[in-house]
Amino acid sequence: MAIDLEKLNDNSMTDKNILYQKMIEEIQDYAIILMDKEGYIQNWNKGAQKIKLYTEEEILGKHFSIFYLPNDLQDNLPFKLLTQAHDTGRAVQEGWRKRKDGSTFWGSITITALHDDDNQVIGFCKVTRDLTDKKYAEDNLRMSEERYHQMIAEVQDYAIILLSAEGVIENWNAGAESIKGYTASEVVGKKFELFYTEQDRKSNLPYKLLAEAKEKGKAVQEGWRLRKGGMKFWGTIVITALHNKEGDVIGFSKVTRDLTAQKVVEEKLAAYTAELEIQNSELEQFAYVASHDLQEPLRKIQTFTELIQSNFHDKEFVKKYFNKLDASAKRMSDLVKSLLNYSRLSKEKEVYTTVNLNDILKDVKEDFELLIEEKQADISNDPLPLVSGNSIQIGQLFSNLISNSLKFCCKKPVIKISSKIVNKEQLLDPPQNLIHDRYHHITFEDNGIGFEEQYNKVIFSLFQRLHGKQDYSGTGIGLALCKKIAENHLGYINAQSEEGKGAIFNVFIPILDNNSYRNSQRL
Amino acid sequence: MIDMKRMKNCLLIDDDIDDQEIFEICVQELNPDIKFLAVKNGIEAVSLLKSNDSYTPDYIFIDVNMPKLNGLDCLKILRANERLHACKIYMYSTTSAHSSLEESKKLGADDFIIKPTKTAELKEILSKIFKIDLI
Repeated sequence: MAIDLEKLNDNSMTDKNILYQKMIEEIQDYAIILMDKEGYIQNWNKGAQKIKLYTEEEILGKHFSIFYLPNDLQDNLPFKLLTQAHDTGRAVQEGWRKRKDGSTFWGSITITALHDDDNQVIGFCKVTRDLTDKKYAEDNLRMSEERYHQMIAEVQDYAIILLSAEGVIENWNAGAESIKGYTASEVVGKKFELFYTEQDRKSNLPYKLLAEAKEKGKAVQEGWRLRKGGMKFWGTIVITALHNKEGDVIGFSKVTRDLTAQKVVEEKLAAYTAELEIQNSELEQFAYVASHDLQEPLRKIQTFTELIQSNFHDKEFVKKYFNKLDASAKRMSDLVKSLLNYSRLSKEKEVYTTVNLNDILKDVKEDFELLIEEKQADISNDPLPLVSGNSIQIGQLFSNLISNSLKFCCKKPVIKISSKIVNKEQLLDPPQNLIHDRYHHITFEDNGIGFEEQYNKVIFSLFQRLHGKQDYSGTGIGLALCKKIAENHLGYINAQSEEGKGAIFNVFIPILDNNSYRNSQRL
Repeated sequence: MIDMKRMKNCLLIDDDIDDQEIFEICVQELNPDIKFLAVKNGIEAVSLLKSNDSYTPDYIFIDVNMPKLNGLDCLKILRANERLHACKIYMYSTTSAHSSLEESKKLGADDFIIKPTKTAELKEILSKIFKIDLI
């Protein structure tokens, strides 16, 4: 039936009804169906045919449950929807429906109850829209989000944490649980500084990292972090700032990897390398000694021999140079002996026992009896402790220090040996690798010639002599030996002096129970 | 013959008294007119030059391995002294560690002499330096 649009201005009721009916019939995107109050289909539009594939002739008089899937029929869904529309005016639902050919579509359905003048329900209007494409798109998106979420949640090797802009933990994955030891319920809602050491928290490291991530997009750091219970792990951390569309920071992702095992290996390797470097430089010193210090007396022996040969008839000359020859040979022999002592010290694994330092001092004083008498030396001491160590090495240490004090002195030597116990924090200029907490601090103080402060380190190197050969005898090995002995005992030695004002040698030996000593020995 | 107008000065800086003595014997045997002086270390050498303006050595021999001021540091100080611009300075050592040899050349040493075992060798080296024909 053709409609004259110009007649729309006309108020004719019939024309309006016709127009209205046409509008419904022609709509293609919505299935608009009129049903009686039992749900039997009375009217069918183009949209209904397009969506559900039935023609008007095929469907009129059929019950609308024909569009429902078996599951929904079992649940009595069509009846439930009708009842709801009947009771409340309308029913809204989204769900899978069936077309004529058995294929399904995702329908968005509104069933509206129609009433007569007495407000009695006389039928229903059902409007259905096919949202299958939208449904698929939404499902895909949701599934992809779910997969993504699962991926993060189930990653084991990395702790992946979502932080709020203020650093509050909002999300926690399996990796975080295995690396940091906390379950999600224990930490979600807490501040992430929880994983930082006290020192790092004091220096505000956690929030410095957030600030850096905010400014630069991300912050990368490696360091010791805390697990639940306080155990440390070596973590490598990347914090990335998350932005909204306006570019504001709305939170952070924090990815942490536990590299403790690698770190331990690395540290072992570094310690081993350092040890090798020390050994290497000791070897170099040895090579220097072999070529220089040992060659020197040898060269003199050759020269003196030649001089004696060419002045054989000068009795005085010969006598003088025979003495020099003898002195050079003796020096050579001393050097070889002390070198042997030193190299033994490096190689041998010695037996460690409880050593009474008072006995050691007594023995050393006996060894130097003649020299002490000759120089009228005064050696006094506090009561000395018992230490864990090798008595031969400690004997050498005492002997070398006391012989130095007796030797490097131009007046009556006064030597004082004292002892006290100190904590690690009270140590004077300690090396970095000390592992014990308490030490015997044994002091050797003399009134000898001393040395300039600037030499307080070099005097402990092999063959370092501060004083001319003719003024003071010595091989240049004594103090190097003392240093080695102190280090063998996991302690150290240092010296203080001012030239002409005597010297103080400080020996630090750790206090430990006998059982732990052997285990803590360096390899 | 050597120049008689001015006696040549030769200074040895060595902490080893034996080596000083051997060196002196050789110098005296080569030419008794060369004025030989020996000091125990670099610091003594520096103060000797400072306290005595009229003393200008023509040859200086420096032991490398000495306490206090080592030979190379001593060389550095002496080379900076304008009074010694015409002076020949030699390093004089038991051994020649490659590093100290190179370093001394850089610092302006004229040569690096390894202490010989025979006095004849030392005399030969010195005769070339002093430009004296060996008899």
